[in-house]
Amino acid sequence: MPTDALRNGEVSGQDQHARARSRGVPALAYATGLLAVLVVLFSLGNRHFFSLYNLNTIASYAAILLVVGLGQMCTILIGGIDLSVGGLMSLTAVVFVLSLRIIGYWAYPLCLALGVAVGYVNGTILTRVRIPSFLATLGTGGIMSSLALLVSPLPVDVPASHYALLSVVNGSVLHLKNLLLLALLFYAFFHVVLRLTVAGNHILFVGSNITMSWMSGIDIVRTRNLAYVLSGLAASLAAILVSCGQFGGDPTLGSVYILTSIAAVVVGGTAMTGGAGGPVNTLIGALILSVMENGMNVVGVNAYFQQSILGGVTIVSVYLTFDRTKVPVVK
Amino acid sequence: MIHPDDHPMTSLARPAPVLELRRVRKSYPGVVALDGVDLAIYPNEILGLVGENGAGKSTLMKILVGLVQPDGGAIQASGKPIALADPSDAIRHGIGMVFQDGSMVPNLSLVENLFLCHERGFRRLGLLSRRAMRERAASLLKEVNIHTDVETPIAEVPPAVRQMVELTRLLWQSTLYGQANPILILDEPTTVLNEGERATLFRILESVKRRASIILISHRLQEVVEASDRIVILKDGRNVTELPAARARVAEIEQLMVGHAFSADRYREEEQAAPRPEQVLEVEGLRKRGAFDSISFSVRGGEIVALVGLVGSGKEEICKCIAGLQRPDAGRVRIAGRDLAPGSPSHAVASGQGYVPIDRRSEGLALNLSVAKNVNLLVLDRLRRAGLVNPGQERANAARWMSECRIKAPSPSTPCGTLSGGNQQKAIMAKWLSSDVKLLVLDHPTRGVDVGAKDDIYRLLRQLARDGIGMIVMCDTLEEDIGLSHRLMVMKDGRLVGEVACPLGKKPTPGDIIGMVV
Repeated sequence: MPTDALRNGEVSGQDQHARARSRGVPALAYATGLLAVLVVLFSLGNRHFFSLYNLNTIASYAAILLVVGLGQMCTILIGGIDLSVGGLMSLTAVVFVLSLRIIGYWAYPLCLALGVAVGYVNGTILTRVRIPSFLATLGTGGIMSSLALLVSPLPVDVPASHYALLSVVNGSVLHLKNLLLLALLFYAFFHVVLRLTVAGNHILFVGSNITMSWMSGIDIVRTRNLAYVLSGLAASLAAILVSCGQFGGDPTLGSVYILTSIAAVVVGGTAMTGGAGGPVNTLIGALILSVMENGMNVVGVNAYFQQSILGGVTIVSVYLTFDRTKVPVVK
Repeated sequence: MIHPDDHPMTSLARPAPVLELRRVRKSYPGVVALDGVDLAIYPNEILGLVGENGAGKSTLMKILVGLVQPDGGAIQASGKPIALADPSDAIRHGIGMVFQDGSMVPNLSLVENLFLCHERGFRRLGLLSRRAMRERAASLLKEVNIHTDVETPIAEVPPAVRQMVELTRLLWQSTLYGQANPILILDEPTTVLNEGERATLFRILESVKRRASIILISHRLQEVVEASDRIVILKDGRNVTELPAARARVAEIEQLMVGHAFSADRYREEEQAAPRPEQVLEVEGLRKRGAFDSISFSVRGGEIVALVGLVGSGKEEICKCIAGLQRPDAGRVRIAGRDLAPGSPSHAVASGQGYVPIDRRSEGLALNLSVAKNVNLLVLDRLRRAGLVNPGQERANAARWMSECRIKAPSPSTPCGTLSGGNQQKAIMAKWLSSDVKLLVLDHPTRGVDVGAKDDIYRLLRQLARDGIGMIVMCDTLEEDIGLSHRLMVMKDGRLVGEVACPLGKKPTPGDIIGMVV
């Protein structure tokens, strides 16, 4: 068998590679190291980097990235990807603000339900219609981006009379912004789901070896659907958090989050090949991205140059964390 | 037929070998595949290469076609040392292989496959001339008696034609590289062929021999004796002997392949206990088109049944149907009296059936997850407290089964991918044992495992049998099948052709069985 021959032929080399890697520094350590280096560099560049105001700015952005990244992480852990988070966030933003005017607090559960439903559709297209997640979510994402603009071509504002409804996110408890608390709660929720529930563990098994999982009796359809549902839930929550902060819904707000959510996941050390990584990685990844974004502004890096640095850091991080032993050919 | 005078062994002035391998060594983690093998290939001969599974034939051939790099030893072509770094290197030296299940692109046509990656010679004014390609393909294929339309996609032609296209491609490529005497490797070429096609294949090989050397690997010893000029026998990664085919007898080759005296203590036979009365597996009238037909048998608790047969005899497919990995066309499978839903591995697992696959790395383990996670996979439900998986219980369960199965790992959190083959296999077994498995299907449980780990696995199998678990095994060697099992079931061409009891102290010898298998 040529493919088997090829695989077996490469095994010895791969084994050594895998051993060397496992003896070496784990992905999380690279990421944490990178975060520390960035913090030191930026604080040397501008002493106001460590000001309470600035730290607050960083944390707020990190909170959003963390929430959308946690969802993205689930789909990446299972060996797929969710490119529809952008479209879903845009759609959720306008739906949230418009419905808030009519149904008040019910807008929150409504939007979260919308995210869950979209995630379920994404999962079903992958598992039942059998279209690769890359294309399936690219398609649904496009549909939702256009729906968002159809619902409201221009950004919609929350009327000042309804600001009280936003205090769920904009308020604070003991000087800690609710935004941060919600993000941390969400982080804890994902930690529990992935580490301590059977279904969450199954996400890791399926991502690591789908054939083995199927042969061991794991319901791979349900498990993969769950990963996409979690991603949808996360994206809709992120859109709510952003909209509350902006006191309005922007029908194009999601587009930047497609790349940044994936970047937060992989920069933190979760492997694109699936099965390896976790919420801690995404937390570190979200912090790295927000520190970079903010730090480059604080020390005055040319705005046009910032994207290049972000792109470069993403590639280097994937180089350091990507386990090439799992894929015979890198595509 | 071969005239005695042009036989390379009998002619006094033996020509220089076209290719020579000296003291070639190759080891994988935990197992030595080749332990100083010598092999010489002479011009215009058919060399039969035989040996049991795991004797090192495939590794040797993979080295020849550049898929595997040897750890030591020398390869010489016409007296000059050469390196075979990859398959394209090999083909430049005129060495190519016809694979068991084809290495062609199924949706491309015969002509496209034939010249794939070597279309350069057909350029006219920078563009490929399809007409020239078609004409050349048709004339090349005519030489091997193939008259199929060259525009037919490969997927639509029978295996015999596919094989010939592959063979023709290798011959054509070696003329392209100016190799006067290419070496063609045929790995089990007849498994996909019927009687008539087999005869045709060997007739064509006889004529191809005039301009090439052929290495023929086959489990069907009779055809090796008939078709080849010289036979080389490998065992446990070493040369056993070499003999001219004209004087060889099948029985003699069998003896040499199996080798040393049959030692009883190697499979912990003294621990073989009588099976229990209750049946854990009943198979009735199982049928799958093209694989097997009307298969009925049962396995009792604590009984080890070995399924014996050649590649293609249908034994793998039967096991896959029982495990729900494939869907049979007809028939019933019952585990402990309960009917199994066909084609559902989750139902099979829920009914208490375990499957230890032959390919541990791609089907048995989540390699980048820890040993503990892999061991606990099936019992996570039971390790919960208040609905959540309890890390303490997870650790305890993993530790218990790691010590029970003697898994040697630095810690329970070590990723499975870094373990040796033997420990990986034990981890897979631990996973099934920790769940309430009633029937365990083991596909080559000791493949690629070193001697010490083999004994651990035998010990585990005996213990499982004592605990009343029924087992179906398919082993690497007949010896192992006989040594481990209570009963052998012999399969041939998709049917059960015999059953041999292997009671303690009255075990048959491999020689008794091989006649039924071949």
